[in-house]
This record gives sequence, structure tokens and C-alpha cells, in this order.
Amino acid sequence: MSSDPDFTGPKTEELVIEAREAQRERKPSRLNRVGDHLKREWQLYAMLIPTILWLLIFLYKPMYGLQIAFKDYSIFRGVAGSPWIGFEHFDALFNNDQFLRALRNTIIISMYGLLFGFPMPILLALMFNEVLNKVFKNTAQTIVYLPHFISSVIIAGIVITAFSPSAGIVNTILGWFGMDSIYFLTKPEWFRPIFVGTGIWQEAGFQSIVYLAAIAGVSPTLYESAVVDGASRWQMMWKITIPSIMPTIIIMLIIRIGNMLEVSFEMIILLYQPATFETADVVNTFIYRQGIQGGQYDLAAAAGLFNAVVAFVLVMTANTISKRYSRTSLW
Amino acid sequence: MAGVQLNGIVKAYGAVQVVHGIDLEVNEQEFVVLVGPSGCGKSTTLRMIAGLEEISDGDLTIDGRRVNRVAPKDRDVAMVFQNYALYPHLNVAENIAFGLRIRKESKEVIASSVEEVGNILGLTPYLERRPADLSGGQRQRVAMGRAIVRRPKVFLFDEPLSNLDAKLRTQMRAEIKRLHKRLGATSIYVTHDQVEAMTLADRIVVMNDGKIEQVGSPMELFLNPANTFVAGFLGSPPMNMVAARIASGGDAPVAEFGGQRLTLAPLPSLQNAVGKDVILGIRPEFVRIADDSAADIVRVEVDLTETLGSEALIHASLNGEPFVIRTETVGQMNVLDGISGFTIAPNLIRVFDAKTGEALPGQVVEK
Repeated sequence: MSSDPDFTGPKTEELVIEAREAQRERKPSRLNRVGDHLKREWQLYAMLIPTILWLLIFLYKPMYGLQIAFKDYSIFRGVAGSPWIGFEHFDALFNNDQFLRALRNTIIISMYGLLFGFPMPILLALMFNEVLNKVFKNTAQTIVYLPHFISSVIIAGIVITAFSPSAGIVNTILGWFGMDSIYFLTKPEWFRPIFVGTGIWQEAGFQSIVYLAAIAGVSPTLYESAVVDGASRWQMMWKITIPSIMPTIIIMLIIRIGNMLEVSFEMIILLYQPATFETADVVNTFIYRQGIQGGQYDLAAAAGLFNAVVAFVLVMTANTISKRYSRTSLW
Repeated sequence: MAGVQLNGIVKAYGAVQVVHGIDLEVNEQEFVVLVGPSGCGKSTTLRMIAGLEEISDGDLTIDGRRVNRVAPKDRDVAMVFQNYALYPHLNVAENIAFGLRIRKESKEVIASSVEEVGNILGLTPYLERRPADLSGGQRQRVAMGRAIVRRPKVFLFDEPLSNLDAKLRTQMRAEIKRLHKRLGATSIYVTHDQVEAMTLADRIVVMNDGKIEQVGSPMELFLNPANTFVAGFLGSPPMNMVAARIASGGDAPVAEFGGQRLTLAPLPSLQNAVGKDVILGIRPEFVRIADDSAADIVRVEVDLTETLGSEALIHASLNGEPFVIRTETVGQMNVLDGISGFTIAPNLIRVFDAKTGEALPGQVVEK
């Protein structure tokens, strides 16, 4: 530093401003930075290509066809050549008793699934976590995972056989107690419990893997610390395990809510029959009957679009609520 | 508060024994540090005291009561874990109150206890924060808060500072020491850091390979290590070891090595050991640097000098083995480059049997 009182050079502040501006000028543009990044990490982006292609071909390209929901679609005129008719199909849908019934059934079955099916894998995972005997634990886990790997057609066959009025195990047991046989699968009031129960039996075990993995991630010292503090196993489950896996539970719940209207389509097709349409017909089976079997592709597309919009709204709402109250969210 | 007694404590996993019959008495209000290298059994011993590991054999007594088969919650101990073991979904106040809630204490008791602990540990401004929003030092204080809020008979610390950086560790070490003074609690502390052991302990228990090597106050162990393991483990840099043979030297015995000799203390045990192969234990701090003109100089070859500010470490070799000298720098900087050896007072040399590694009897360096 100069101690000369006549020093007339730039002051420190000016020098700092100058240096900052020079630095700003030297800073590469955003485009250049992205270019550099791509050049440096191109291998990672190359690995993304198959997934992006898959998304484009199977999820985005079909969206082009969604416009038939607003058109009087004819397979001879094609998607582009069919005339626009606005919301006529939606109007028709909401005046269609079958669609409204299917919508009501979808919501009721989904709510049952959410109420009984969602907690089941969590309960299973918590129970497996408490089992100390390794052999028993492994055997039990294998048994409950098994139905997931069996084809839905076979599962449906097993269910139909089990509930058969003549030789089914359920009616046989009822017979032991002197009760009359019930033809469960033709009774509308029995369809939903059987369907939801089948879903739980088929998937609860496999879905519990996610929660078991979350439980495995809980630090053992949390339990040790609780043991020293005097917590019982029950208290540890409530005060450590469940709160620790709560973020996983919430994420799974959001995903589940997003898929609420997507009830297991093939299982319904396999189990329902006209006698149970009253409680069994859901939006997806309605779309299948109208679109594929009835050739009303435009009406079916409108129903499908409605399904997707509702699912989008549901998942956004669930995510926002979760973000606000539990600090956990999908994005 | 209460004392803890370990009588012949053994821990075995199947046929593999990892703790081989430990005897130790921790007095009421005493701060005892178990120190040793990784895998020496110190954490296992602590976990047996906590009740987290079953005791394979022996007796564990807390406050005069045998607790081998007593559940951890009924032993009235509290433990601070290495990784804090804080519940991520609970805030600081809830974490501190966890043990009290489990014991179904009243809301008033919980609130006042949390407030008191918050004040003691300087956590009051952070009581509403979750562990993820705290620094490492704050988390460690919460972990200690969880332990002290229950006012247990015995505090157990399992390497509580090893996840902190060096500066924070020094700070927290002082806080633990202050806390112990304030609460006067019986404390057993496990660490592999000998600096922590030296600074915190009323008594240090040096463990190796599942056994206790020596128990004593930090200065006792520093000045009079019972064997070469303790000598090498405590002190930074560790004690220099020089292989030598004792010879007769007139009034006092001498140690001969590589054509050089050092006069030893005129103790009967050393005089009776003439002709015996020994290891000389020489603390880096106990030697005085010397030049060629000094009498009784032991010559070394200086490789490197590290200046640490107020002191310097001179890395040299003696008889082909590394030899470190620690010396003050103030007023000596001009001579550090020109040293050719050192001198040491005979009573500051620790002589160990070369075969057993045990110190020859009768040697006592006064504090």
C-alpha cells in the first residue's frame, strides 16, 4: 500500500468492482456450460437413450391418439381425418349409467384396496421384522411372496375353484358348520371382498419387500438406545420403526393414490361375470368392453382420458398435502 | 451414583472368546476411560455393562447389585453412542424426553427436565429443531442430553467424539469434562484416541486383545507403563523403543546398543539384570538435544525436523530404528539443524524385558 498522500490511483472499492466485472465477462455462458457438461458426461446421457426412446414410443406417441376423445373417430378416416366434436363423448359418458356405475365401482373397490390392501404389506413387514427365528422367517417370507409370481389367470382359477359351490374349500368349510353353499362369484355383494382379498393375497407379500428394505435401513443403534432407555419391542415398533419408515409409507401411498383408478383390470375380467357387473364393472373393464369389444374407440378414449386426468389430480393433491405436512414428497 | 465392578467378565461368540476375564472396579463418581486399539474388546465390555451384550461368564455388579441377567432398562445406566442414535423424526426436545416418556413420567416432570438439560448443554435455542438441522457438535450434545435427563447411576460413552472433526472434538472433550465435574456421575468412556483418554480420565484402562494391560491414572500410565504395549500406545508421539543389553558400569548399570551406551538408574533390579536383553523405553519429551561437545551423548542420525510452532519433532534413527525427539523451539531454532544426539536422565529411561515386554521391577518415575 502506498502511504503517499498524493496517490491518485483507483480506490480499493473500484478495483473490486472492476475485478468482479472482469470475472463475469470471463464466465462461460449457460449454453457453453451445458455443452461442456454434455461433452464430459456423454456416456451417462448415452445410457439414458433407450429409456427416453421407450418413453417416447410407448407413452408419448400414443398421446397423439388421445385427440379421438374429442372427435367422431372412424378407423377408415383415421385420427387426423376424423371430425372434431368437442366434449360430446364426455357428455355421453356422464349420461351413461354403465359408465357412472363403473366409476362408482372403481372408486369403491379402490377405497377398499386402500383401506385393507395398503396397510397389509406394512403389517407383514413389521411382523417379519419381529420374527427372530431365521428359518421360520425365511420360510414365511417365501410363502407370502409366492403368489406374486403366479400368473393372474392361475390365481383367478384358484379363487374360482376355492369359492366353487360344489367342491370349493370355502363352501366345504361352511358345510362343516351346517351352512348352505353360496355361489360367491355370482353374488354382487361378495365380489368386492373376494377381489380385494385376492389382491392382498397375491401382492401383499411382495409389496412388503419395499417396507422390509426401509426397516433394514433403520440404524440398529436407535433400537439399542431405546433398549437402554427402557423401551419394549412394542414401543420400539411404534416409536422407532414406523416413524422411521414413514417417508417410504408416504411415497408408496402417493403412488397408490395415483393408481387408484387403475384397479387390477385383468383380475376383474377373469373374475367378473354379467351377474356381478353391478359391483364388479370398473372404468377399465368399461373401456375394454366399449372400445375393444364394441368398437367405440372414441368413447373409450374419452373414458381413459378422464381416468388419467383424475389420477393426475389425485397424485398432485396427495403429493402437495404430504409435502406440506410430512416433509416427504415424490418431487 | 454408584460404582461398577467387573469380576472375571468373559465374552465369547461360540468358541471364539473376545474378552478374557476382565477384573475392574470403577468407583463412585469416577471417570474411567477404556482405551485400546480397534478390536481390543473395549466396546464389547461397555456393551456388556449396558446390557446390550450377554455376559458369557463372570459377575457384573452395579451399585452392589449383580446385574448379569438384569434388563438394560433396569440397570439404571444411560449410554451415549458413537453415531449419536438420535431419532430423526423427533425434535431435540422430544429426543431428550424420549427415555422419560417411555418411563411414563408426568408431562410436568418431562418439561422441566428437558428445560434443565437444555440449559446445561446450551440447547435451549434448538429444542424445536430436528437432528438433521443440527451440526455434529449440537447432535452430540443432544445425545448427551438424552443420557443425563434420566439421571442414571452410570453413564456409558461409546466413542462419542469420533464422528467429529478435530477442532470440535477438542471443544466437546472440554464440555464432557465440565459436565462430569458438574454432575459428578460415575462414567465409563470408551475411545481409541489416547489424547481423549489422557485428558478426560481419572483412571485409564488400557486394553489389548480382550485383556486389561494396565489400569492407572493418566500420568501413572504415561510415566510408568507396565509393558511395551502401554508404552507404545500412550503418548504422542509414542515412546521410543531401543533394543539393548545391560552391562555393568561401576556405580550404575549401563545399556549397550550399536556401539553406544546409556547410563541407567542404579536400581537393584537393573543391576541384577546385567547381561540381559532389554528394550529401553525413551519418551520423546524426556530427552535433551545435544551437540558433539556433550558428555554421555547418544548419537542419532537426523532425517527430518518438523516444526509445530512452540515445539519441534526431530525424526531420527538410532541403531537403524526410528527415534523421535520432541523439543521446544523457542530459543533453539538455530541449533535444531546442528544436533547430533541427545542426553537423558537415567531415571527417565524405562527398561522392559526384551522377552516378555514387561517393565523390570522397581522402576518408578515420580510425577
